[in-house]
Amino acid sequence: MTRTPATSSQPTTYELLQRHGVSRRSFLEFCASAAAVMGLDYSEVERVVQALETKPRIPVLWLHGLECTCCSESFLRSSHPIAQDLILNMISLDYDETLQAAAGDQAEQIRRDMIANHPGEYVVAVEGNVPTKDGGVYCTIAGETFQHILEETAEHARFVIAWGSCATNGCVQAAKPNPTGAVPIHKIIKNKPIVKVPGCPPIAEVMTGVLTHVLTFDRLPELDRIGRPKAFYGQRLHDKCYRRSFFDAGQFVEHWDDEGAKKGWCLYKMGCRGPTTYNSCSTVMWNGGVSWPIGSGHGCIGCSEENFWDNGPFYSRTADVPVPGINSTPEKIGMVAAAAAAAGAAAHLGTLMIKRARGSKAAEGDGSAASAGDEGGQA
Amino acid sequence: MTEISSGAPQSRQPGAADVGQPLFERVYVWELPVRIFHWVNAASIVVLFATGLYIAFPYLGPSGEPYDQFVMGYVRLVHFATAFVFTVNFLARIYWFFAGNRFARSGIPWIILPSWWRSLFRDIKEYALHRYQHPHLGHGALSGLTYTLIAIGLGWAQIFTGFGLYGETNPGGFWDTWFGWVLPLLGGSMQTHTWHHLFAWGFVAFIIVHVYIVLLDDTIYRNGLVSSIVSGIKLRRVRRIRARKGRLEVEGEPVREHHRSVGSRNAADVHVSEDDEAAS
Repeated sequence: MTRTPATSSQPTTYELLQRHGVSRRSFLEFCASAAAVMGLDYSEVERVVQALETKPRIPVLWLHGLECTCCSESFLRSSHPIAQDLILNMISLDYDETLQAAAGDQAEQIRRDMIANHPGEYVVAVEGNVPTKDGGVYCTIAGETFQHILEETAEHARFVIAWGSCATNGCVQAAKPNPTGAVPIHKIIKNKPIVKVPGCPPIAEVMTGVLTHVLTFDRLPELDRIGRPKAFYGQRLHDKCYRRSFFDAGQFVEHWDDEGAKKGWCLYKMGCRGPTTYNSCSTVMWNGGVSWPIGSGHGCIGCSEENFWDNGPFYSRTADVPVPGINSTPEKIGMVAAAAAAAGAAAHLGTLMIKRARGSKAAEGDGSAASAGDEGGQA
Repeated sequence: MTEISSGAPQSRQPGAADVGQPLFERVYVWELPVRIFHWVNAASIVVLFATGLYIAFPYLGPSGEPYDQFVMGYVRLVHFATAFVFTVNFLARIYWFFAGNRFARSGIPWIILPSWWRSLFRDIKEYALHRYQHPHLGHGALSGLTYTLIAIGLGWAQIFTGFGLYGETNPGGFWDTWFGWVLPLLGGSMQTHTWHHLFAWGFVAFIIVHVYIVLLDDTIYRNGLVSSIVSGIKLRRVRRIRARKGRLEVEGEPVREHHRSVGSRNAADVHVSEDDEAAS
């Protein structure tokens, strides 16, 4: 599992941390917490230590497409691997529009140099999605469309990380009616492995966990069916929610200010998306484990799920079905369908009775005892 | 079963009083496994819909501490257990599709056959214009199409979406491995829930139409359709009875084996011809 160092003259993570005055003890603490976040056994901490001591940092080109930069904001607030500068030191962040000191042609040259000089070695981290309508004009950087930049940069990448829901599944920009034709990056990049780290934003510890895994084991973390790391997206919030016992008991908050809300009952009926959302919020939590939406008494809105913006309203258990012209739940549609079925049957029976009534009148007129209408149908 | 009865379904030797009366024969159409399938299916749909409604809209709010309550837990348990009954029932019916009599296979939409399309449009026309002339022993083209698309189609849709959602409780487990692909296909867990709800209501609409048509057919054709799903026996009108040269005979048709009123009770003896063969 050795990899030719991308830039062998570059220092390893540990060397860099030493230069920054980080003590050996702090470094080991960092490795232990990074291993814990990845879900590794304690005995595996040594591998993290070894990796950070011996391997040069991963060169990362961090691209920003159509997005709000909340993923970067979250990443910078990572608390578990000690402090934000440590996290940024874990990777060699060679290009990032938000954070880089360089600007203009100089910045773009760094990106082009990386592509030209280190093909197959750098990692492309993508924050945001790709507007495709009208030639991609809705997101241009340095005079180029983001779609072109992404295709060009990802072409020679080792693999691609899709940061956040934008890159993973489109998020808000791709919600109906999607005026810019925004698509998640896997619709553009077809020939590279993509790690999807959804969330709006993803949890900081999850982001650093993914990077640490790659650095430690020199391969992608184990991914689920749709490309999310199993370690962080393997289960629904619901399955590890501390309010789960109230769900199983059938004790639900009915109104935001009722007794159940005060007692911390399950928020299922208030539209909580915990039962349909795969993320680590109920275990890792947010802001260094301070709290998380359900812990603060508000339901999950399912921000790491595909189409979460179109699966509203957020405060209703069932999603609206987009029937043109009206907002409708599956239940309303179902009841209308059932009523239509009943009305159709009633109308059918009604016309039959009218026909029979006319038939028997005609038969009486003929003076014939045999009813043609009644028996004529038999063969 | 090949007993003859005139007028009302009863088994006795036709007598002089029966001259001019329509003649029915009793045909063993729905074998026991088919009837068991029907009622297990009906019962599990009712239970699944009722428990499903509770799961989507829980209304019982037990008070007290959660450790001695398990209302939602039990309702989900019943829902899942019944789902297994429903599925096994479906699989058993697939077996009986091949193992059963030909009525167990009736109603296949043979969309490649022009004759099937003719039967379909004839059925539609008869129901639309109230010109009921072609009773079916098994399923006709229209009913067969309806059962295939709605009852069977919805059933499989519920099985796949249901087990997909069931797999969520144990990621990486058996149900997730085999049915988990349904979720990304439908755009995620939430969308799968939405479809699962919509399909469930499809059963409600289906049952309303199904019960209406069954009652209508039974009334129009007097073919014992309603009781047939309990007894398995449907009545099929043959010809009228008439007297000829002092002997009773069936109009327009030579006396056939089914005139033996104390006929064999073996269902396989039933001889049905023409229309029903074509339609089923």
